[in-house]
Amino acid sequence: MPFRAPVSDTYRKKSPFEGLLEHIAKVRECVHILRDGIIKYIDGNFENFHEIAEKVSELEHEADLIKGNIRAHLPRSVLMPVDKRYFLWLLREQDAILDHAENLAQLLDLRHTIIPKEMKDDFKDHMNLVAATVEEMEKAVENVKDLLMTSFSGRERDETKEYIHNVHQKEWEADQKRYAITAKIYEMEDKLDAMDEYHLLKIVDWIDDIADHAENAADWLRAMIAK
Amino acid sequence: MIVILALLAIFAGLYMAWNIGANDVANSMSTAVGSNAITLRQALIIASILNFLGAVLVGKHVTDTIQNKIVDVALIADHELMLGFMAALLSAGIFVTLSTWKELPVSTTHAVIGGIIGFGLIEGGMNMVKWGTVENIAASWVISPIAGGVLAFIMFKVIAATIFSSKEPGRMAKNTGPIFITLTLFIIMLSVFMKTKLGAMMGDFTVMEFVAISLGIASLGGIIGFFLLKRVKGKGYDLVENLFRRLQVMTSCYIAFSHGANDVANAVAPVAMVLMLAWKQIDAIYLLAIGGLGIAVGILTWGYKVIKTVGGKITALTNTRGFSIDFSAATVVLVASKLGLPISTTHTVVGAVIGVGLARGLDAVDLSVIKKIVYSWLLTLPASAALSILIYRGLIILF
Repeated sequence: MPFRAPVSDTYRKKSPFEGLLEHIAKVRECVHILRDGIIKYIDGNFENFHEIAEKVSELEHEADLIKGNIRAHLPRSVLMPVDKRYFLWLLREQDAILDHAENLAQLLDLRHTIIPKEMKDDFKDHMNLVAATVEEMEKAVENVKDLLMTSFSGRERDETKEYIHNVHQKEWEADQKRYAITAKIYEMEDKLDAMDEYHLLKIVDWIDDIADHAENAADWLRAMIAK
Repeated sequence: MIVILALLAIFAGLYMAWNIGANDVANSMSTAVGSNAITLRQALIIASILNFLGAVLVGKHVTDTIQNKIVDVALIADHELMLGFMAALLSAGIFVTLSTWKELPVSTTHAVIGGIIGFGLIEGGMNMVKWGTVENIAASWVISPIAGGVLAFIMFKVIAATIFSSKEPGRMAKNTGPIFITLTLFIIMLSVFMKTKLGAMMGDFTVMEFVAISLGIASLGGIIGFFLLKRVKGKGYDLVENLFRRLQVMTSCYIAFSHGANDVANAVAPVAMVLMLAWKQIDAIYLLAIGGLGIAVGILTWGYKVIKTVGGKITALTNTRGFSIDFSAATVVLVASKLGLPISTTHTVVGAVIGVGLARGLDAVDLSVIKKIVYSWLLTLPASAALSILIYRGLIILF
């Protein structure tokens, strides 16, 4: 059924921002599951951890498909209200959060390490701070809906910046926690088995990686919404 | 022989009108349908009635250009002239069918102008064509989408700056809405009164008096609009969009009216020329009615499918955006109509969409269509002219 419909040719079937929001929804779901699983893990409850690791991998894969789809449907000829490069970098960093979440879950599942009693609360606090960093980032990205609606009004821009500021704040707190835990591990090094110590240090690093990428994503978002 | 030719012209004109209804109307109405301002059924009714009104009330300027200002009609014998316009009409019709089949963004306007130039060239050589007018028309084809884009850019920026940036967007939209209504009605009224039959029938008014009358009617409309908009409910940005959904009903009428004023002439003007020469006197209103009928049939048989397809594809469009696009495109097309410039409504709408995109109003705009439209500009005139020459040669042998 042939038409001459040049007006329709100017529109994309699906907004790339819709895809971005679908992707961040996967991040939200994934980090949520991971956090609950890791809190149990820290308590020494390894029972269902394998299933959690599998679920995290599954979500990471689904998000990968969304990412691929967005990239594949952004030819050079598409004009967006934001710099396309920043948009793609933001997407890439969102995806890095999931990559590191998957990495963390899979590697923790390979060796179930007992977290020493003295450190359990610190590890939990750290995990919660990292998850909070990602949550603030999710809020910042989700505010893109209102930014688009209002054509990037000052008010909505300020709101997004506020969330981005919170991301930096939480990430900083997570960093402080990480240094404190690392110091504690070194203090206890005489009492720890070498392999355990190595793994504890690794766990802290892996968890913290997630917050770092949430912060990177927030930075690209900040660049994306700049005037 | 004359009767056969006249009937052939009527059928060819109906066919062109059908084409305009099937594709061009759909392109101009799809914005309102796509942003859920009006239903498909309402679009069909609005398009049929307002296209007709636009053609009857403001259509004469473009019709006049197509009939008298592209080739020097005084220098060509009546019989040749009749066959020439016949050839132009047929070549445009065939060309538009081919481009529809190939899904090229070709304009019916461009095809008709090309056809007339073609027979003018073969009948009287280079001097027969009024190149000054043709240059103006060609320039207007490039300028109209750009003007549509610039106006849409400004309109959307104004909406963003006044409404979306305010602390109470909904309240601000309720205050701004009546101003948009007044502005739209003012432009329409002015176009209906200035240098038209209706204006002359009303009496001997000066330009300033017509401006005052138009402004009076428009202000009255604005006041009525204020009370109607007052009752619209909603919260925050939703309220803004709800208000603009109402305004878009108005702009969809506006664009249908402007479309009628400009594009109906593509089908009617050549037919009028043939019939005038065949029967010496004809009533233009009947021809415009035939044009309006052809367009309505085009919408009902084919156009609704196009509106559905195009409208379904642009669901991401919100009402403030749709309003900016329709208002700007309609204004440019109406101004061009008053200047007697036959332009493409569709290309102007595309320009307006891009304008809103550049104002950071749309999530994503595909600019690849620009390349296709530029190719169609370069292709249509020579191709349609060549086809017209062939058909003209054939008609000369036959009649």
